[in-house]
This record gives sequence, structure tokens and C-alpha cells, in this order.
Amino acid sequence: MRSRILVSAIFVSLLAAACSNSSSEGTTTTSAAKGGDSSATQVAVTAPGVTADEIRVGGVASTTNPLGGKYGESFDGVQAYFAMVNSEGGIYGRDLTLASERDDQLSNNDAEVQGLLEQDNVFAALPMTTLLFTGSDRLVQSGIPTFGWTINPEWQGTTEVPKLNLFGQAGSYLCLGCEQPQVAYVAKISDSHKIGVLAYNVPQSTECAEGWEKTFDIYGEEADAEVVFSDKSLSYGITDLSVQVSKMKDAGVDMVVTCMDTNAVVALGKELKKQAVEAIQFLPNGYDQAFLDEFGDLFEGSYAWTSFAPFETTPQPKGLKNYLKWMEATDGRIGENSLVGWLNADLFVTGLQKAGPNFDQQKVVSSINELTDYNADGLLSSIDWSNEHNKRGETTCGAVLIVKDSEFVPVTIAKGKPFSCFALNTGVLTTTAQ
Amino acid sequence: MVDLLEYAVRGIPTGCVFALLAVGLVLTYKTSGVFNLAFAAQAYTSAAVFYVLRKEQEWPLFWSAFIAIVIVGPALGLLLERVLFRHLRGAGSLAKMVTSLGLLIAIPEVVKLFFGSDAKSNPPPLWYVRRTDEWLWPQGSKFVLDAGQVTTIVSTLVVVVGLTVLFRYTNLGLRMRAVVESPRLAELNGVNAERVSMASWMLSSMMAGLAGVLVAPLFASLNPIDLFTLLVAALAATVVGGLSSIPLTFFGAIGLGMLQAVLAGSLPTNSVLATGLRPGLPFLVLFALLIFRPGLRSNSETADPLATVDPPLPVPVAVSRPRWMSISSRTVGVVATIFGLLVSWFLLDGFWLAIVISGVVLAVIMLSLTVVTGIGGMLSLAQAALAAIGAFTTAQVVTATGLPVLVAMLIGAAVAAACGALLAIPVVRLDGVYLALATLAFALMFESILVPLSWVSGGSVPLAVPRPVIGPWDLADDRYFLLFAALCLTVIALAVIRVRQGTTGRFLQAIQSSPTAANSIGISGGRSRIIAFTLAAGIAGFGGGLLASFAGRANYQASFPYVVGLVWVALVISAGARSIQAAVFSGIMFFLLPATLNRVFSWPENYLEAHQQAPEWMQNLLGLVQPNWALPVSFILFGIGAFTYAKHPEGIIEARTNSSVTALLRWTERRKAKVDASSSVDAPQVSA
Repeated sequence: MRSRILVSAIFVSLLAAACSNSSSEGTTTTSAAKGGDSSATQVAVTAPGVTADEIRVGGVASTTNPLGGKYGESFDGVQAYFAMVNSEGGIYGRDLTLASERDDQLSNNDAEVQGLLEQDNVFAALPMTTLLFTGSDRLVQSGIPTFGWTINPEWQGTTEVPKLNLFGQAGSYLCLGCEQPQVAYVAKISDSHKIGVLAYNVPQSTECAEGWEKTFDIYGEEADAEVVFSDKSLSYGITDLSVQVSKMKDAGVDMVVTCMDTNAVVALGKELKKQAVEAIQFLPNGYDQAFLDEFGDLFEGSYAWTSFAPFETTPQPKGLKNYLKWMEATDGRIGENSLVGWLNADLFVTGLQKAGPNFDQQKVVSSINELTDYNADGLLSSIDWSNEHNKRGETTCGAVLIVKDSEFVPVTIAKGKPFSCFALNTGVLTTTAQ
Repeated sequence: MVDLLEYAVRGIPTGCVFALLAVGLVLTYKTSGVFNLAFAAQAYTSAAVFYVLRKEQEWPLFWSAFIAIVIVGPALGLLLERVLFRHLRGAGSLAKMVTSLGLLIAIPEVVKLFFGSDAKSNPPPLWYVRRTDEWLWPQGSKFVLDAGQVTTIVSTLVVVVGLTVLFRYTNLGLRMRAVVESPRLAELNGVNAERVSMASWMLSSMMAGLAGVLVAPLFASLNPIDLFTLLVAALAATVVGGLSSIPLTFFGAIGLGMLQAVLAGSLPTNSVLATGLRPGLPFLVLFALLIFRPGLRSNSETADPLATVDPPLPVPVAVSRPRWMSISSRTVGVVATIFGLLVSWFLLDGFWLAIVISGVVLAVIMLSLTVVTGIGGMLSLAQAALAAIGAFTTAQVVTATGLPVLVAMLIGAAVAAACGALLAIPVVRLDGVYLALATLAFALMFESILVPLSWVSGGSVPLAVPRPVIGPWDLADDRYFLLFAALCLTVIALAVIRVRQGTTGRFLQAIQSSPTAANSIGISGGRSRIIAFTLAAGIAGFGGGLLASFAGRANYQASFPYVVGLVWVALVISAGARSIQAAVFSGIMFFLLPATLNRVFSWPENYLEAHQQAPEWMQNLLGLVQPNWALPVSFILFGIGAFTYAKHPEGIIEARTNSSVTALLRWTERRKAKVDASSSVDAPQVSA
């Protein structure tokens, strides 16, 4: 027995000596293109998914995952955008084709990404709207232009691995634990002074709540608001918030900010009503008219925040007009998911146009990363893509909406400018309209 | 003190929700002997029907509720009893629980195929309002109840009183319990066991329907996972009642609801204690009750006195077949494995290769179930958690120390084995359902308490785990990784075979066959079971590290949630808990089946796109098939696989192998007899 243990120990030691870890560097495979002409005439291009007639792209969305995430409508947004571009003759004489619509099923994102890269012969990956983004490393290593929904921390790059080919719908930097001055701004304009913070005890939710707390540490004095109640220990799936609401009532909370899913936000709304607590909610993920159709009265006077121009914006920017027109023309459902697909397609096409007729994947990536004032025809506030992968910009912008009579009403600083922008790193609540 | 009382009172409505679910589970167990995890799926079915009738079709409340609870609920129960559970009346709790796991997986997917998988927002309450908060009572009070809470409290009280009366004072209640204990003995006493069993299932299923309709409005949309999450939170109450007492279960559930509320109110928010204790409270209570409640340890299942007249299980194929067939079979196995590897190496593209590798790696984890359940006879629902422990340890060791990932995997396996041993020491003293529940409680505690900690899981961004480099071979190449994974699988499979054939395996087999006889000759069940549990945990931990290395990150949500672990268990046990082939088959099918079905179901759409002039009837027919059926149909098939456990407790792979071997043996015997006969005819006559 002892000799067996000894042999095993020697084996393990040898193994340790013989083994090392594979580096994470991968090979980038992009086809080389010739020339640098950016005219609209067709030039022979040697790149995956590109023929004389079409440019093929493909995406992965969580569609049937029983654990959650129903993001298949993002494909509709891409289809609608491509229909618009193709109706005008396509790009460089080629039609844009959404050639594959993959479902990553039960968290099978990595394999589906692998399939997309190896089986589908696509030039770019879009949309990538997934509950979990386990295929991100593979996409980074391949260098393929990738466009999707920044709801996973994997979109964000670091100084060592900047992930320059991953493009979220409104920037790729997702700083969950950072301060968010827009919340302090909402507290200020809604005349709320005592803030309650609720979150699940899962890392993303907790970090997000810490960001809210930090916000009021920095801007609280100026907004005349402070966090008086915080509970980041809620279990996922909680249905009863009566104790938390009771304590918030005792603390005089008049605004609640949460990092939780719809179930908990609705449970909170019902409990606030039951205990007659006059508090509004800040809904970072609640911009959905269908949601208000069901639960709108629970959120009367509450605020939502979007990174894009809301559908209620007047006058509508060109990008929004096009989106609404082409979603109707292609029978797609108007909503955040399809808009993400639309924005992904818009950025992709913008990159293609900027890369010129003899484009390749690397050129498209580089071209996008040179954009310093991208706004998707007014659908987004200005994005500086030279800076959006691995660090936060100097401002954060978005649209503020208030719920009135179960409908969203934009709250703007200046007429015709849907976005409110907040300076970061100054410690002062500075707002500008965009 | 006043505050504590206030918090406790606030916990009562939640306690009633727990009670409704827990009492339903106890009712099913009392009347059918099945610890029915599919209760949540049955509840979801009635809730979905109620949603469609009440909200989408705008039927009156009474008729919607009547159809969903009184018609659909019992009809589903009747169907399950006729098709499945009547064949399981004499089976052990393991067989029944595995079958219920299969139903838990399959039923929601079947319902979604009928009613659509789109989100069913704002489930309607069982009251004349659109939403529960539209009717509040008493208005202006400190403790206001909404329509959902009032209907739940009233229904729970009625159900508890009704069921208590049924079991304590009526003949039917007595007969129901008698049929569960021994249907044959009950029949000898003039009880129509079939009819009583049907009535039991209809009643318990109606109870599930009622629970589903009442509980669904707690959520913003109707989702089977939410109902199951609530059900597992209520499990502790069922143990308070010892799986038999309705009143005790009720009080246990109320107590649990109150304790949750008191802790939420009294513990300092965001303290280490609050963050650790509150989310995992129901599972901590469940685990503590199972371990420390004295009655449960000695509460072995009541055996059917007439069970001895049942024929024994078929002898394992590996034992029954002749030596030449074993050698041939193993040769075929080796050749098939090499052939599979060659095909994967040369013919598969990256996607299919990734599917195969994932399957091979999962097969390693499945082998842990072969050890703990197949050899050890213990249904562990914690193998996914143990695999996650291995994955996290691997990731943390690599990140913190820079050690080679292969060494880190071995450390991960050792840590998982140590955790398995610590878990095994108290758990192996339990039997059947209780043991399964204790392991489930462990998995849930791990998920709710430890996984959120960044020093365990790495925080919001999963920790990276590199691929190994062994000498000149960089396993970053998927083909090399496949060979490595196959080698690991082979080595571990051989080790498992050694264990099965060795002293521990034989001891465990003896204990499973006859615990009393085994004890009388000095075989210690506890020690052998702890060894099996520890070994299985180590294998799961190694598999977890391997999976993390292949995926590049130790991602709990992507690979190891307890719900996914339940699917693994159903799959491997229905394929054959004792069989190595079954573990390999299950691991590969878990990934291969959905991917293959996706291609199959995508074909009609692709065909129609390529043939836009196809006749209208063909367009209509093929247009019915949707690519997004792949995962639901896979889950339905996985679930149906578990149903076969009733007929083939040895597993479907083992059963098929057995019948093939029997047929082959018969054929060789016939052939031999024929040859003998012909040789005797052809033999030259010897003259006298």
C-alpha cells in the first residue's frame, strides 16, 4: 500500500514537472484584403462569409434556455436593419444576410460560438444576446467582429486583454460596482431624500448595489439624498419583502433602487402598495411597455433609464424613425431586444462602410474603434469607441423616463435632446443634454 | 421584542405558501410512497391551464379554476398513475424518486409545447381581481393581506384540516396508507388497491393544481423553475412532519416562514451572518433536521411484507455472460472507442468536436454517480455541487499559485473528496429519500451560501482556467484535449471497475442485497458507504476541474446549477447506474442530443428556404416544425428515459445489453446444437 502511495506521489511530481498551462493567446484568422479604396464600387474581397452577392453574418441568442433569457427578438432587429440596407442596394453591391440564428440552449454558448465560427461561414457575429457569454474568449481569439448586448461582464476588456473586437450595443464597458450619477439625479428631480437599496446575494447584483451606495456617497450631499436602508442579502427567487418594506417605511424611505429581476421588482411594488409606503422605484431594467401594461399602476411616478433614445422620444431621431418603420415592415416586435439587434446591425454596417470596399474583419474592427462620435443616427448618445472597451468614459449618458398613467414619459433637460449626460470623476452632479 | 413579534407575524403568509407545497408533498408521499419532486411540474401544468383560460380566453373565474384544478389536476394524476406509478407500487423509494425526477424534467416542456414558451406575464389570482394587490384586507391595518395571501391562507387551512380528517377518521385514508405499504396485502384484505391508488393520485395531483394556481401570482410571470425553487424551500417543512404528519408539516412550514422573517428583520443587514445565513436558511434547516432529528436516522422505509415473492432483479450482464463474451465485448468496446476517437479527430469540425469533448468530460462526472448510486446504492443529488467545488478549487489554485492546471485539478479532486467525506459522515446514516434530500440540501446550501462568495467562485466574472500543456502537447488544441479527456475517462472507468469488483464494491453489494445478513457477518455498511461517497466526490471534483479547463472558466451558472445536476442524475440512472457504458452514454447524450435535434428540426425550415416553390401542403406541414423544439424535446426524452427505470431498475443500457446477450447466447446454443446434430448424422457409422 505504501509503495503504491509512493509511486502515486512520484507520478504526481513528475506530472507537475512535465506540465504547464496553455497560454490564452490564440491565432487570429482574418483574410487579407487588397487596396484601401472606400468607394462604393465592388472589389473582390477574400474574407469569410463574403461572396460577390452577399455578406453573411450569424448570431447566438438565448431562446429556449429553461433557466431564463428569451432574447430571440434580437434577430428580428438585425433582419429589419438588413432589410432596410438591402432595399437600398446593400453594401458594396452585396446583400447583407443573417445566415444563422443559433440558440445556445442550456448555457451551451461556447459550443454554439464554436459552431458559428466553424460551420456557418460568417463574416461577423451578430447579434450575441445571451444569458451567459461563455464563448467570449473564443470570439476574442478569433478576432471576428462581434456585436451584442452588454449584459454579461465578459464584454468588458482589460488593459491586458482589451477585447477590441467585442462591441456592445452602447459601449462594452460594464462597470457594475461604479457610481451611477443618474440615480442621484433622479433622486434630486423626484425630490427623494431617503434611499433604500435592495439586491440579491449573488455577485453581479451585490456589486451593482454597491455602485448605488457609492453614488450616494459621492453625490448624496448635492442631491440631498442618503441611503438609509440597504439589504444585499436577499435570496434569488424571494417572493416576500414585507419585512424589508416595513423597515424601509420606518426609515422613511421615499425612493428604492434595486438590482433584481422583474419578479422581485413587482413583489416590491406590491408590498410598497400594501404597506402604503409612498416611495418610488428606480428601474434600471424596467423599460418595457408590456411590463407597464400589466403592472404600471404599481410604478406610478417611478423612473426608468435607458441607454438608447426611448420609443416615446419627440421629435424622433432618424435612427428611431427607421427602426420603427422597418420593424413594422418586417413584422418584428418593437422592444429592447429587437432594438439591441438593430443597434448591433447599425454599428456593423457603419464599420463596413468605414472600412471601404476591400474590407476585411480586422479593418472593420479597426474602423469601428476609430469612431469617436458614434450615435446610430440619434438612437444613442455619442459613443467614443476608441475608449469604450476597457475603461469608463468621462461622461455617462442615457435617457430618463418617468411612469405616468402606466406609460413612459421622457424626462429631458433640453427639448429635442433625449439624453441626459453626467460628468464622471468630478464629484459634482453635472448634467448636460445631448 | 415587539419588533420580533411583528416580523414573525409577517412571516405567516409565506409560511402558508410553504405549507401548501409541503403538505402537498407529504400527501403524495403518504398516499403513493413517492417523494414527488414533479409536484412542482404538476402545479405548473394547472397554473398554465388556469392562465390560458382565465387570462387569455377570459373565462369566468369559477370555470377556469374548476377546469384547471378539479379536471386537469386529477386527470394528470390519473394518467401518471395508470401509465407509470401503478407499475411502481412495490418498487423502492429510489425508483419512485427517479421517475418523479423524469417527470419534473419532461412535464413543463410538454406543457410549453402545447401552450407556447413565451413569457406568461402576471398570472391571475384565484379571486375576482386582475392582480393580487387589487384587493387588500384589512385596509389601513399594519398587517394588510392581499387577495393572494387570503386565498392561500384559507385554502391551506381547509386543506390541512381536510386531509387530517381524511387520514385520521376515514376508511379511505386508512386504505390509502395500506395500499402504499403493501398493495398485495391490502388486496388480500378486500381493498381494491388499483382504485385506491388512482384516488390517491387524483387527490394529490388536484392538490398540486390548487397549489400551482394559488402560488403562481407570487411571480411576475409563470415559470416552472420559480415554482420548483419555492418547492425546494418548503422541503424542510416536510421533514418536520417526518413525511407523514400533515399537522406537523403545517406547523413546520409556518415556523419556517416566521423564522425567515425574524432573521430578515433582526440580523444586521449586509452582515456576514445575514449574507450567509438568510439566503440558505431553508436548506440549512432541512439539512440540520435530516442529520439531527433522531427519528429519521432509524426511519428506514417500511418494506412490503410480500416483497419477497417478487422475482429478484436480473443478474448484471457482466456477471452472467460467459468469459469469451466478456472478452469479445471489451474488445468491441476498445475498438469502438478508438474508432470514435479517430472519427472525432479526422472528421468532426470544431462544433461537433466541442460537443463530443463536453460529453466525454461530463461522462467523468457521471462516473461519480456510478460509484455513489450504482455501487453505493445512495441517491446523491449533490454531484454537480461537488464537481463545482473541484472546478473552483482548480481555478483558485491556478490563479493564486500558478501551479500547472493538471496538478490543480488533482488538488480540486482532493478538496472535493474531502468535502464529500465530510458530507458523507452524517449523511450515509440516512436511507433512501432522506439521504437524497440531505444531498439536495447540501447542493442548495452550496449554491446559496458559498457560490456568491468571491473567494469561492471568483465574483461576477468567472475565474479563468487554462488548458494543460503536457510535455510537447499543448491541449489548447481541442483534438489533443479530446485524447486527454478520453484517457482520463478510461483511467477513472478502470478504477471504478476495480472498486466495483473489489472489497468495497462487494461489501456495498452485500449491504444492498441484505443489510441484516451483511451486518451479521461483520460487514460495516457505514465505512464502505463513506468510502464510496468520498471516491465519488473526488471523481466529480476532478471532472469539474476538467470541465472548467475545457470551457476556459469555472462558470457555475453555465455548468453546475443544482437543477442541471438533477437532469444528470435522471439521465445516468435511467441509462444504468451500475454501468460504465451508461455513464459514458449519458454524458455524451446530454450534449449530443439537443445539438443533433436542433439540426433535425432546422432541416424543414432550411428546405423551405431553398425550395420556395414547394407545394403549399408541404410548406404547411414542414412549417409546423420549429428549430427551437430541440431542447424541449431533448428534455422530454431525458424525462421519458427516467420512466423506463420503473421497468428496468438496472437501467435501459444494461437491460438492452442483457437482452442482446441472452439472445446471442440462445443463438450460439441453438447453433451448437445444430452443429452437434449434423455432426452426429454425418459421422461415419461404426459397424459392430
